[in-house]
Amino acid sequence: MRLVGAELAESREILPDQWLQTFHAPGLVAGARAGQFVHVRTGDYSGLILRRPFSINTADPGTGMLTIHFRAIGRGTEWFTRLRPGDRVDMLGPLGRPFEVDPRSRHLLLVAGGLGMAGIRLLVDEAIRDGRRVTLLFGAARAAEVYPSTLLPDEVEYVVATDDGSLGHRGFVTELVPDYEAWADQSFACGPQPMLAALARLAEGRRGRLGVARLGRKRGGGKVVPAGSAAARRKAFLQVSMEQNMGCAVGACLGCVVMATSGTPQRVCREGPVFASDEIAWEAGW
Amino acid sequence: MKAKRRVVTSGDARPTGNLSTGPKRTPTIRRIKSAIVPASASASQGGRRGGRDQGAADGTSARATSPVSEAAGRSDVVVDLSVDLGRGLVLPNPILVASGTFGYGVEYGEVVEVDRLGGICCKGTTLKPRIGNVTPRVTETPGGMLNSIGLQNPGVDAVIDRYASTWVGWRTPVIVNVAGESVSDYVEVVRRLDGVPGVAGIELNISCPNVGRGGLQFAIDADAAAGVTAAVRRATDLPLLVKLSPNVADVRPIARAIADAGADALTAINTLSGIAVAPGHGRPLLGNVYGGLSGPAIKPIALRVVYEVAQVVSIPVIAIGGVTELADVLDYLAVGAVAVQVGTAIFADPTLPVRLVDELDEECRRRALPSYRPLIGTALPRKPAAPSSKGVEYRP
Repeated sequence: MRLVGAELAESREILPDQWLQTFHAPGLVAGARAGQFVHVRTGDYSGLILRRPFSINTADPGTGMLTIHFRAIGRGTEWFTRLRPGDRVDMLGPLGRPFEVDPRSRHLLLVAGGLGMAGIRLLVDEAIRDGRRVTLLFGAARAAEVYPSTLLPDEVEYVVATDDGSLGHRGFVTELVPDYEAWADQSFACGPQPMLAALARLAEGRRGRLGVARLGRKRGGGKVVPAGSAAARRKAFLQVSMEQNMGCAVGACLGCVVMATSGTPQRVCREGPVFASDEIAWEAGW
Repeated sequence: MKAKRRVVTSGDARPTGNLSTGPKRTPTIRRIKSAIVPASASASQGGRRGGRDQGAADGTSARATSPVSEAAGRSDVVVDLSVDLGRGLVLPNPILVASGTFGYGVEYGEVVEVDRLGGICCKGTTLKPRIGNVTPRVTETPGGMLNSIGLQNPGVDAVIDRYASTWVGWRTPVIVNVAGESVSDYVEVVRRLDGVPGVAGIELNISCPNVGRGGLQFAIDADAAAGVTAAVRRATDLPLLVKLSPNVADVRPIARAIADAGADALTAINTLSGIAVAPGHGRPLLGNVYGGLSGPAIKPIALRVVYEVAQVVSIPVIAIGGVTELADVLDYLAVGAVAVQVGTAIFADPTLPVRLVDELDEECRRRALPSYRPLIGTALPRKPAAPSSKGVEYRP
């Protein structure tokens, strides 16, 4: 975690009201991993007093460039859209715990809903760099809100679902998952909470549907892996990136919690934002 | 009544056995001390020791006679920023971090130089672990934020277990914020904290607006507030701060009752109860509906409360509410606070409290003051204002 001044290099509206901004923040990019986020201060100190959390959309340690992808939805995000190249913002990060990819996983199934793409985009780069096969399922309301495939690496298989059927599969992105769940070694998702909950239910019944034999010792059998540890997450089929209103983003204020199956609320900013799908108490209504 | 264990942690506490009144456990008799003890080194103010009002007078006279004006701008002059809150609790400077905004002091890691803070008030701690309120728990409002964490914490034993060993190593005093649902809760938590190395003091949170039972009920009634303060006072000799709520009609009788019950200092103010509506949904935004408003939006209210409280009690008052820059610190000092807590602004700028320490030091040098104390209480009236003869005047 570092507090740095980041200089805006490029800002463009890639989709209606959705912006992609590139910042130069070499000190922060160096240790950044997929799933982590940055907490950025707006310059309008008079009324906006909280920082804004953004997923690290892409990070390039070579150039020190980091991108964030967001929807202009309120006064804070609108302030960011008015930034011009050369402007500096105060950036805290990288924060949170990243996605944990098992070194043995060859096939990764990534699922993003709408702006959830921002939370999962860096994992595409990391997985392809590590020589894994990646299928990315993306859901949006309509064709106009579909993330442009030109912003994705060529190696990724990109499958789109839209609610109104204007592009790709007509319906929810979760309906595409059964076609791929046998192929995938691990799955990662980011998006609206109902989507994540549906994916978690699918992941729960996966072994039964696929008829995975429970023969002999499981991988790492016998070892007790504490829930919530990196190792436990690495073993989980589905990891999800959660979202919550955030205050401090370092774990001090306890504002951004999600209810866990353990009964103790977990901080999205500290224990998350990435959780194994079975860590989250989806029915708790938090 | 059975005699209870008594732990003496500071030389200030006197044995109470020689008092002839019945029970052995009478409230600790306290010598009313000056809010701040003038530094022995400051020659300009030597010999003039008194209460807060005296402090204000000191300020004016120090400036008028100005025996130290030649020190202006000299970088080798050491400005005395220390604050003595009594019972051996001396803060290295008057800039603290407020409860709930700085966790247990460890969360910000190397981003904040913890050892340069004047004090840390840790997250509200209860006897048993609490899971807190349902989400969403925080939202931004114009010039402030609402929170309804609901006192999520792992319980006092876990807090001592996990953090006390870290606190021992810090130069900065850690003041544990204590909350509870009943007087016995408060007393038990404090008893467990008593004597734990690394715990420098207690801040009684009798004013949390976000929990159903406990919390606020103690802060809105002078008798209840005095009762819990006195009970805790009997249970510990740790320095005892009590946090006042602004969610009352008149805070002065409550402040006076708490001071009389044996508190060493008051902190003012806790958050104001408020509500936000989810944009476009037409329903309450926060999971708990009610939240506590903090940030610059509440500063005028906090200033008013500190101004009122500082005139009716002789114990130190620590101000909280929307401190975002040095001017805010100076404002609070002017209305009689001896120290300030920085809260919500930490979320935007974690380095702010440490910077304020430097800026206050710089400001004292600029004004050629050997200490920040002449800045205290300059906005207070010289004598209590006469009752208004105009019926329409607002008198909270």
